[in-house]
Amino acid sequence: MEHFLGLSGVLFALGFYGVLARRSAILILISVELMLAAVSINFITFATYLDPERFTGVIFAIFAITIAAAEVGLALGIVLRLFRDRGTSNVDAADELKW
Amino acid sequence: MLSRLPLPPQLDRTITLGAVLAVGVALPYVGVVLVLAAMGTLSVAAVVFWMLAAIIVAGACGAVFSNHVVHAALSLVIAAMGIAGIFLLLASEFLALVQVLVYGGGVTILLLFGLMLTNATEDPLVTDGTQKPFAFGVGLAMGAVIVAAMVGSTWRAGEPMVVPFAELGVRLYRDFGLPFEIASLVLIVALVGAIAIGRRDQDGDVS
Amino acid sequence: MSEVVQFNYSLLVPEYVLAVTAGVVLLADAFRAELKLGRGTVPWMVVAGAVLTVLASIVTAGRTGEFAGLFAVDAFTTFFRVLLAATLAVVVVGSHEFVTKHIRHQGEFYTMLVFATLGGTVMAASRELLTAYIGVELLSFSLYVAVSLAKRDPRSGEAGLKYVLLGGVASATLLYGMSLIYGAAGSTSYGLIAEHLAKDSEGVHMALVLGLAMVIAGLGFKASAVPFHMWTPDAYEGAPLPVTAILSATSKAAAFALILRLFAGPLLPVLRDWQWMIAVISLLTMVFGNLIALQQTNIKRLLAYSSIGQVGFMLMAVVTMSDVSASALLLHLGGYLVTNLAVFMAVIALYNQTGSEEISDMRGLAESNPYLALVIAAGLFSLSGMPLLAGFTTKFILFQAAASGGYLWLVSIAVIMSTVSLYYYLQVVRQMYVLQADGSLIDPQSPDVNGPRWRLTATGYVVTAGLLAGVVFVGLYVSPLAVAANRAAAALFS
Repeated sequence: MEHFLGLSGVLFALGFYGVLARRSAILILISVELMLAAVSINFITFATYLDPERFTGVIFAIFAITIAAAEVGLALGIVLRLFRDRGTSNVDAADELKW
Repeated sequence: MLSRLPLPPQLDRTITLGAVLAVGVALPYVGVVLVLAAMGTLSVAAVVFWMLAAIIVAGACGAVFSNHVVHAALSLVIAAMGIAGIFLLLASEFLALVQVLVYGGGVTILLLFGLMLTNATEDPLVTDGTQKPFAFGVGLAMGAVIVAAMVGSTWRAGEPMVVPFAELGVRLYRDFGLPFEIASLVLIVALVGAIAIGRRDQDGDVS
Repeated sequence: MSEVVQFNYSLLVPEYVLAVTAGVVLLADAFRAELKLGRGTVPWMVVAGAVLTVLASIVTAGRTGEFAGLFAVDAFTTFFRVLLAATLAVVVVGSHEFVTKHIRHQGEFYTMLVFATLGGTVMAASRELLTAYIGVELLSFSLYVAVSLAKRDPRSGEAGLKYVLLGGVASATLLYGMSLIYGAAGSTSYGLIAEHLAKDSEGVHMALVLGLAMVIAGLGFKASAVPFHMWTPDAYEGAPLPVTAILSATSKAAAFALILRLFAGPLLPVLRDWQWMIAVISLLTMVFGNLIALQQTNIKRLLAYSSIGQVGFMLMAVVTMSDVSASALLLHLGGYLVTNLAVFMAVIALYNQTGSEEISDMRGLAESNPYLALVIAAGLFSLSGMPLLAGFTTKFILFQAAASGGYLWLVSIAVIMSTVSLYYYLQVVRQMYVLQADGSLIDPQSPDVNGPRWRLTATGYVVTAGLLAGVVFVGLYVSPLAVAANRAAAALFS
């Protein structure tokens, strides 16, 4: 069981690194997806191993996946719009406001 | 035959890199895991786990370190498929299915469309920012803390139990009906919002 | 599945009203031409829905209970239902003019505001982590969209992008923390979590502390506490003004509702593990928020940092978690909301006239529109905690509660920071009252420098006057709000 949790920890950290290091909005989104995937591994592991009711974690993971997908859609809409304004999807180009 | 195909030079580099990684990292790794399994130290499930873990971490590294946006998106698919395998290993087939459908299908297509529409592949600025070393340090520290906390805790683990499919549906739609309905509102918000924001307006608006 | 699950749908009436309002508004706007509706109809539908929600919450306040163990309706829920729906009504009344001028997709815009309110009430009512999380996402998604909907302003999309990316990271962190708490307690229901954590959490202590830290980071982001505040100034500045008002009111109130629900309920048994984290965050938040506010030149950014400072004060009451400090926190939240909305509505009215957000462009306002200058000045004084106004009374009670909780050092820093905040609020007042539009001192002999006098619209008058009255009323006669806050806090701990 610790193996699964360790794997999810590694994934989460990789995603977090990606968020910090990447400058392209779409690549940041990909990193956020990795973090959310780590979350669903966690939930399923706990659900299988130690929840006497067994279900809550699985259901939580279903919701997490759904929301993650919706978030990608919404964020891409915003990226698209910014791209039309600026001609790039790079967050460094979004510098009109002090970052 | 292969040499006569008009392959772009960066593909050559990708193939070389892939081969080097495969021979240098993947083969020894698989070898070690298989030898341990043959010696009886690892069970079959553990062998499967370590294989999947390698695939996932490799995919995640590709998604996070690759400088080519399309490669990063496709690496995410590899990682997501590996995670679906982990779900199977944890005996939740339904989640594995959902994972394949949503990540392998939906999210990837969406990301690729996003890449196409924003011409991100031609963007010269996809290279990472200057805060890379700092980010690396933070990521490493974070990973160490999380893994330490995970492995260092003694969980009240029982025997792993299979999640029955039918009962899951009952729980999802009956007991958790309320969050389910609210989640549908979240999806409406995302849908309406993405359309309203992304739509090109007819008249002489800025966007 | 042995236990009987209660499905009492009548408990959810205010939420139904909000959801139906959102749907009707969306459809009515889409078919506006066919239905022959004027451009002004849609905002009034939203206002009607919000008022109905307030009424429904008050009428059904006596019916308490739980829905399927997920959703609790008690005095605490009612408090936030009324607060959030009233905020929605006020913002829409005060800004419909602005929206008509600056937002193309009116229907979508108002729908997002309604859904944000709904998300807030769900967060306030949650009895279980999954419901809480979905509420958080409904609120955040609506605000991501609303922030980026001012398509004529290039800053809006940029603010939206930063908000959605950082928000995604924050919700992933929050979710990871929730998963660890689920793992440590074996359940997502608040009651069961409290039970398990009270019994024994020794073995999973490390994971639990990590989970707490991640939940605090995620919620701290939503409440914009330092060091998770990076998005706040940018989102505030880039967002259209009414959304900035909602961000500073609904989003904060809902975040604090969930913080109270979580930390006064399931996480209370492990108080010692999270108390120091929140104390540190509270300290950082009030110091940095107030110090950075000193150098702002844009009124939205100034209000962003000042609201960060306020969050620091409110977090103090979370540190000394008890029914007294929870009640003080709710009271201060109410007072802060009224005051903040008064300032924002006045700034929106000003922006409709001048089209500028720079503080230096507020010069001479005392001459060109003395009434509006009075509202802004009163609001800012109340935020800084001047006597006779709402901010003083509620802040005083808040500080008292925190001090009696034993965190005297934190309170003394809060008092110092409160004084610092007076300085930058006074800067704004100085621009309005002491300087003329050309930068010289006010001279009654040359009144034309400030431009002609101008008047607010009727709705502008009504809404600012109502809020100003509210600020003074709460300042002079705090007990009605205090009774409501007390009841809500009691329900929280029962």
